[in-house]
Amino acid sequence: MKKKQTIAAVLLGAVIVLGTVGSVLWLGATVKSGQSSYFWGIWVIVAAIPLYLWRVLLLNGSEELRSLVVRSIRSVGVPIAGIVIAIVIGGILMLLTGYNPITAYGALFYGGLVRNWHISVLNAAPLIFTGLSIAVAFKAGLFNIGAEGQYYIGAMAAAWLGLNLNLPAVITLVLVFVIAGVLAAAWNIVPALLKVRTGAHEVITTMMLAHTARYLSPIFIRAYGGDPSTSTHPYVTDEIFPTNWLPSFDSFLPNANYRLHTGILVAIVVAIAVNYLIYQTKIGFEIRAVGQNKDAARAQGISIGRNIFRALLIAGFLAGLAGVNQVTGLDHKLFENLNANYGWNGISVALLAGGSPIGVIFTSLIWGILDAGGQFMSRTTQTPNAIVEIVKGIILFLVVAKYIYVYLGEWIKNRRKRSIV
Amino acid sequence: MTILSIFNTELLVAMVRLSTPITLAAIGATICERSGVVNIAMEGIMIVGAFFAAVVAYFTGNPWLGLLAGVISGGVYSLIHAAATVSLHLDHVVSGAVLNVLAFGLTRYLMVLTFGHPGTSEPIALTLNDYQFAIPGLSRIPVLGPIFFNQTPIVYLSFILILFFTWFLKKTKTGLHVRASGEHPLALETIGVSVYRMRYLGVLISGLMGGLAGAYLSIENSASFTEGMTNGKGFIAMAAMISGGWQPIGAFLASLFFGFADALQIRFQVFKVLQVPEEIFIVFPYIATLVAVAGLVRRSRPPKADGVDFMIERADD
Amino acid sequence: MTDQTASMRKVILETRDIVKRFPKVLANENVNITLYEGEILSLLGENGAGKSTLMNVLYGLYKPTSGEIFLNGVPAIFSSPKEAIRMGLGMVHQHFMLVDTLTVTENIILGSEPGAGVQIDYKQARRQVKELSDRHGLKIDPDAKIENLSVGLQQRVEILKALYRKARILILDEPTAVLTPQEVEELFSVVRDLRKSGVSVIIITHKLEEVKAISDRVYILRRGRIEGERITAEVNKEELANLMVGRSVVLTVHREPHEAHPEPVFEVENLHVVDDRNIAVVKNLSLEVRPGEVVGIAGVDGNGQSELAEAIMGLRPASGGRMIHLGDDITNLRTKDRIARSIGYVPADRQRYGLILSMTIAENIAMGYHDRPPNSHGWQLDYTAMEEQADDLITQFDIRTPGALVPAGHLSGGNQQKVILAREFSRKPTFLLVSQPTRGLDVGAIEYIHSEILGMRRKDVGVLLISLELEEIFALADRILVLYEGAIVRELIPEKTNEREVGFFMTGGTEKAS
Repeated sequence: MKKKQTIAAVLLGAVIVLGTVGSVLWLGATVKSGQSSYFWGIWVIVAAIPLYLWRVLLLNGSEELRSLVVRSIRSVGVPIAGIVIAIVIGGILMLLTGYNPITAYGALFYGGLVRNWHISVLNAAPLIFTGLSIAVAFKAGLFNIGAEGQYYIGAMAAAWLGLNLNLPAVITLVLVFVIAGVLAAAWNIVPALLKVRTGAHEVITTMMLAHTARYLSPIFIRAYGGDPSTSTHPYVTDEIFPTNWLPSFDSFLPNANYRLHTGILVAIVVAIAVNYLIYQTKIGFEIRAVGQNKDAARAQGISIGRNIFRALLIAGFLAGLAGVNQVTGLDHKLFENLNANYGWNGISVALLAGGSPIGVIFTSLIWGILDAGGQFMSRTTQTPNAIVEIVKGIILFLVVAKYIYVYLGEWIKNRRKRSIV
Repeated sequence: MTILSIFNTELLVAMVRLSTPITLAAIGATICERSGVVNIAMEGIMIVGAFFAAVVAYFTGNPWLGLLAGVISGGVYSLIHAAATVSLHLDHVVSGAVLNVLAFGLTRYLMVLTFGHPGTSEPIALTLNDYQFAIPGLSRIPVLGPIFFNQTPIVYLSFILILFFTWFLKKTKTGLHVRASGEHPLALETIGVSVYRMRYLGVLISGLMGGLAGAYLSIENSASFTEGMTNGKGFIAMAAMISGGWQPIGAFLASLFFGFADALQIRFQVFKVLQVPEEIFIVFPYIATLVAVAGLVRRSRPPKADGVDFMIERADD
Repeated sequence: MTDQTASMRKVILETRDIVKRFPKVLANENVNITLYEGEILSLLGENGAGKSTLMNVLYGLYKPTSGEIFLNGVPAIFSSPKEAIRMGLGMVHQHFMLVDTLTVTENIILGSEPGAGVQIDYKQARRQVKELSDRHGLKIDPDAKIENLSVGLQQRVEILKALYRKARILILDEPTAVLTPQEVEELFSVVRDLRKSGVSVIIITHKLEEVKAISDRVYILRRGRIEGERITAEVNKEELANLMVGRSVVLTVHREPHEAHPEPVFEVENLHVVDDRNIAVVKNLSLEVRPGEVVGIAGVDGNGQSELAEAIMGLRPASGGRMIHLGDDITNLRTKDRIARSIGYVPADRQRYGLILSMTIAENIAMGYHDRPPNSHGWQLDYTAMEEQADDLITQFDIRTPGALVPAGHLSGGNQQKVILAREFSRKPTFLLVSQPTRGLDVGAIEYIHSEILGMRRKDVGVLLISLELEEIFALADRILVLYEGAIVRELIPEKTNEREVGFFMTGGTEKAS
């Protein structure tokens, strides 16, 4: 069926093109004046969906198409239900404590989705990286709670490289990303070794190193200390060389906010790459096997130690990229930012996405919108920003509880031997 | 001041003071894990306990009520973890992580509600620190006396609780049930004791102890509540539990070690005996914890059914 | 057997039309059984017939979907084991309910500890345990830790547990599964003694000889229903087997003579292996397997079988000795490399070591060879190829499944085992290590697997079979090696020996005795 294959290939090409263009338009928008690229972007992406479905129909038949649609709805349905319920509960909480939920939520969504869309996107980018980090570790059955520490190492490395490397634009940027990522991955070597050799729980080891990294950053900042006369913030390094900056959207989308940088596109590309790695490669297969049943994996010759190592180092690399993203894209310096919380929020977006790398893109955006909207809300309606934290926590709890319960329920019914006499 | 002059009784007194919240949390976590539930939310429970203890102590002027509030709030918060893991069969580590995140958001929101601003609460006039007293006789024992027997109320309470829980596990009926629940829950269930109930109890105990630890932080060791004041102590408590071989006394000894590292670090900072950036000292306890977990973990073994979900198809499926 | 006439016997337990339905299966359908006081009743049926489910309903672990139970004439549907225990029921489960790290005494008193308040009166507990053990002739050390006891002794503790709670009805679930023939005799005499002291016993089993040896009456269960009730003395094994399976079944796999090649395909020389606690569990073990023969290793569980299997597959290091495959020394070879050398492995615990239940059948089949063509090219997996191969094998091995993309956990035990066989056999092994291949499977699956193993034998594969079921060993093996305390103590030819003799050596018997 040569004809079928070519049509399928063309469709795939169209989906990729539309998806890319749409994403760039949508993410790179700001809707201060003339809403053009925001909505254009969304419609372009939406147009890509039926093309993709058509391709599935062509290649795999209507049965497969139907099950794909059902599965997608099911996997999206749970998080959305969780969000809706959490918003309602948050609203009740606001009422009980004397705030007006309608105005508050109105401000939140307007701020997050429209007015300060660029801030939402800026928030989302590092979360995608840390979310991917947690998700990859999850696949191996590991909990990379210390992602925060790897973030700091990545940020410090990016700042150091950014201050010292001065090569042509693309080359130096790639080098910064790769080298800083590798250094952040190295931060996880000790926990990986300990886990493999002694079984030491990575929750504790990565957490301890995270606290350590957090406190090392002020030392670094003082060593490369900025000029206090040019900045109001006392704890910051000098600015990194301009060639080491991530380009911002306004260089090709003039309506975009000047601060909105292309880190989000890098993050999306990395997410797609991680998805490929986990589900389409040998290494991903081994990591998943180790995470799901290490006894059976080992009996088939898969090395547990090597895959734990791989998973933790890849996770470290990804979390480090979050730090690189902040330094090369947003600040162009390293601020002392002791309460960034990207690690913890990374755990949340990974859990919310059910561990799916592609899902992490969307849950990070949601989190980004909540954060940006929350700040806008607290500025304009005097509702405390912290209500957003509570809503996030409730969403997380509900989604995780539902997912695991449904998933587990099915799994239990098929493992007849467990705990049943 | 030379390095050596730091090593004096003052240091050991500080060691006991700084190790107390870790001891309390570690013992709580120990009982919880002995019953079969992994609890990484100690950090979150502690911050909840710290907050409510501070708030109640501030508004009522009575630190003892604050103590009670801290303990109870920790217990109530931990019941969420119990429900999630035991009844809803959620993964223990995931539930713990979620509760940690939730705790910080919750305390921040309540902070703004009660005090109008985030960060640090208003200072509390009367704290438990003002109730320090020396036990007559015992406090005059050379060396050990001033260290252990001239302390503040919760510290004394912690000593009592160490002994209490050691006795509890070894000698009581419920203690035996708790132990069985973490090793072979089905054996317990088939002999007519509810594993669910034992695990709820285990988690609740860790909640009460965590709340107590938090209360110590805000109304005995200091005089206010600050966001994030737990600073990783919940995780260090877990390390103490593991290093202590899942026994109360072992957890206590391990906590002393971490408290020692912490006390040492502070002294190095304050007395500026070495020409090194102060942050190096702050990280010392964390590195020490890392080393301890690496070295000691081989020797101890967790309860067999720790973290393993237990589901019984009773009554109706 | 029984010295009371039927009219004088008292009914102490009776079920009426018990139905137990689970979401996917009807486990018990209109089951009516009666237990008379002071009798030994057996419940016969193959794996999956519903015997254990019925007992769990009696014991209060499950609630019946419908039906009634009467204990001494009084309605008694228990909502928890606690109630059942209080009313005099005691149960010894197939998988022991003992806490390894606790002592014998602690396990026996668990849940019914003596002592006035919250504290346990250990002195009284020990005294009670000693007294109980003396009274029933069940010798045991009250302070020993369970993890240090033999399986036979552990079972003794389980029985004492029930007696401690004054059980009048004792239910034994597959009690002889883990015992040697000698231990089985001991158990039976204990049961007869219990009967003398007024305890009524229900034995759940799938072994015909046991039913004949010990019970007064027998109910036969098949597919959740009572197929028949017989007085044991008045029925023969063929009739029981017929009722149990619905057709004549004795051994339908036939091992024809097959000439094995003289050169061994796999050899073990003076192998020495230690367990996780650094205790030697395989001591100076030597054996050889030739292409075209099945070598059966018989032994009581816990004599080094699992460690031996692990060492052969490279999952546990050998602390001494050598292993040779096709002339090459593989002692220090990684598992991965052994698999690549066409050594196949069917592990004892199929759900833990054999399959990843959450992965698809195709993925499970590819696992182990996933890093080479056709399953992957370079670093990329080829799912289409994996699926194709799985589809072929599903047809070839008659695996009952909607497709290759179904998670392995959705399959029945027998089909799961088929997936493992498919994977291993399709890799054309020269040497096959098979451990407990038919545990927990029904007769149909057992037949299939046995014939597959004999098929490999016919293709001149060397098979090393480790099994706890003597019947299986006698059916399949050309040579029997008896494993006792980590060493091969005796080699026997199945045609020239019997189960009794093998059992004798399995428990450490030496030449002199008969």
